Amino acid sequence: MRTTAVLGSLAVLLLAGTAHADTSAKKIAFSNNYAGNSWRQAMLKSYEIVTKKAVADGIVGASDIFTTADQEVPTQAAQIQNLILQGYDAIVINAASPDALNGAVKQACDAGIVVVSFDGIVTEPCAYRVVVDFKAMGREEVEQMAKFHPEGGNLLEIRGLAGTSIDDEIHAGIAEGVAKHSQFKIVNSVTGNWDQTTAQKAVATVLPSLPEIVGVVTQGGDGYGTAQAFAAAGKPRPTIIMGNRQDELAWWKEQKAKDGYKTWSASIAPGVSSLAFWVAQQVLDGRTDVPHDLLVPYLAFTQEDFEAALPNIPEGSVATTEYTQADAIETIKANIK
Amino acid sequence: MMVLRALLARPWIWSFIGALLVWLAAISFTGGYGAGGMITAALSLAVFMVIVGIGQMFVITLGPGNVDLSLPANIGLASAVAMKVMGGSDAMILVGLVAALTSGMAVGMANYLLIRALRIPPIIATLSSSFIVHSIDIAYGRGLQIKPPPAFADFTNIQFLGIPILAICGVVFAFLAGIALQRMIYGRSVLAIGQNMRAAWLAGIPVERIRFLTYTLSGALGGINGALLAGYFRGASVDIGNEYLLSSIAVVVIGGTSVAGGKANVPGIWGAALFLVLLLTMLNTFGVSAGIRLLLTGLIIVGVITAAGGQKALR
Repeated sequence: MRTTAVLGSLAVLLLAGTAHADTSAKKIAFSNNYAGNSWRQAMLKSYEIVTKKAVADGIVGASDIFTTADQEVPTQAAQIQNLILQGYDAIVINAASPDALNGAVKQACDAGIVVVSFDGIVTEPCAYRVVVDFKAMGREEVEQMAKFHPEGGNLLEIRGLAGTSIDDEIHAGIAEGVAKHSQFKIVNSVTGNWDQTTAQKAVATVLPSLPEIVGVVTQGGDGYGTAQAFAAAGKPRPTIIMGNRQDELAWWKEQKAKDGYKTWSASIAPGVSSLAFWVAQQVLDGRTDVPHDLLVPYLAFTQEDFEAALPNIPEGSVATTEYTQADAIETIKANIK
Repeated sequence: MMVLRALLARPWIWSFIGALLVWLAAISFTGGYGAGGMITAALSLAVFMVIVGIGQMFVITLGPGNVDLSLPANIGLASAVAMKVMGGSDAMILVGLVAALTSGMAVGMANYLLIRALRIPPIIATLSSSFIVHSIDIAYGRGLQIKPPPAFADFTNIQFLGIPILAICGVVFAFLAGIALQRMIYGRSVLAIGQNMRAAWLAGIPVERIRFLTYTLSGALGGINGALLAGYFRGASVDIGNEYLLSSIAVVVIGGTSVAGGKANVPGIWGAALFLVLLLTMLNTFGVSAGIRLLLTGLIIVGVITAAGGQKALR
């Protein structure tokens, strides 16, 4: 009886041991190149919450965040080289450029370091990429628009930062959606750079020349500015797709209370940083079957559930979700084909 | 004919002609549709360029090497300061404006101290101070969008017969700045320093005091602009002033102020600001892609500056 109990507890200990013994001494660094907007701040916060707990639980040995203030490639490249010298086992990275950091990333890989990029990804094949399915998001925007306006009409498109993969993907998704729902026509597109100020300015300049607009398809962080531009020009308010920012959802709530305004909201959750962390941990854990390109779903809110989420978003910030180790294992499984 | 020639001799007329041409190009594309709306939108956006442009003009007029590169960071910080102090309450609007003004003046004074006490060239001093201010802003504002009080937000958007009140204030302000430049001792001193700093000093002009005042003025205008931008765009953010690094200098140069200093032009700033905004309007109306738009903006600005400069050489 006694031996079974001892053996049993030993077995439990062993089982528990195998779950996280392999990475408990590993050090993971986070290289981030910008902290100046609400999305990045939320991203850093999510990362900190999740990794602090992971360190306290003994899942990893250390997790440190390094942010360079500017968006410059050379600064971040130098930072990565420092992280290699400091002996980190993995680097989670939100990169300033998809290809200009490949040299530094290759050096890290050659030094046996696991590199996981997300949001701002790197194209170097040895690195892992956690990518949100932006194309699906663009497609879904038009799907939703078709629900609100089955009769179709003119759409205005707000583009993101030119030259980024994110802008290209969302745009491609929207183009696919419009091709499918031919009752819609994109009459113009302006650059909003995912920023309310830039979006408002761009929409204000183009609005006077536009015919009646039934809907605006956006990329996130530009919906509130768009709404303000329509209001300032005294034009009727179209259906504007939102991007999970607190000010956007608050505006939506205000309009909904006024006259039952309907729209849809979607964006990449800043907490995807924590998913990248868990992916790094899984690779360090010895998993060899992790695909280098991981597609994760975007975070969306509908007419029914956005008001429940609103109180949890700090004022001026963006909706997020923190990912768990189980989520990462689930994501990896879903991406193995 | 005489009137026309006298008008063409004014360096500021070119920026207004440019603004008129791009506006005509835009409305001919839409067949006249939205012509008034474009003017309203252009006036509302141009006024922000005018405010910082005038500050930048005084600095540039001080002579070669003088420029304020800290404006974007200054505007960002002041927008956050104003919105935090106002805290969404209409009763605190004036306090918030004063806070933004103070924050801007502090940045301007710090710039001057770096230039004077540490003898750093202005271009380096204001650029490095902008990094410091930017970092303070990120730490202070945490990258959050803070909303303005409703009354302040409404004020930045009131229109009278399609003309924004803010633009009218901007015209009055530009008029006063013109008087300060041409008719007051301060403005004449700035011009004199820009023409020859040593001669100005020998003539008994308190050179350093004027430079101090000028950098502080530029900072103060940046601060006010930050507060107004946060009101107009319904929220402060770190990047709200980014655009005003290039555009504050561009409106000064396109407006006919000499980059070498000593020769300034206030009306031209309005013309240049309208030109830049209408140029964006035109390119957006044409629906050209982001890359082409930036390329054309650059080429057209170069063209206009060359045209305005060439006219001067003929005289």
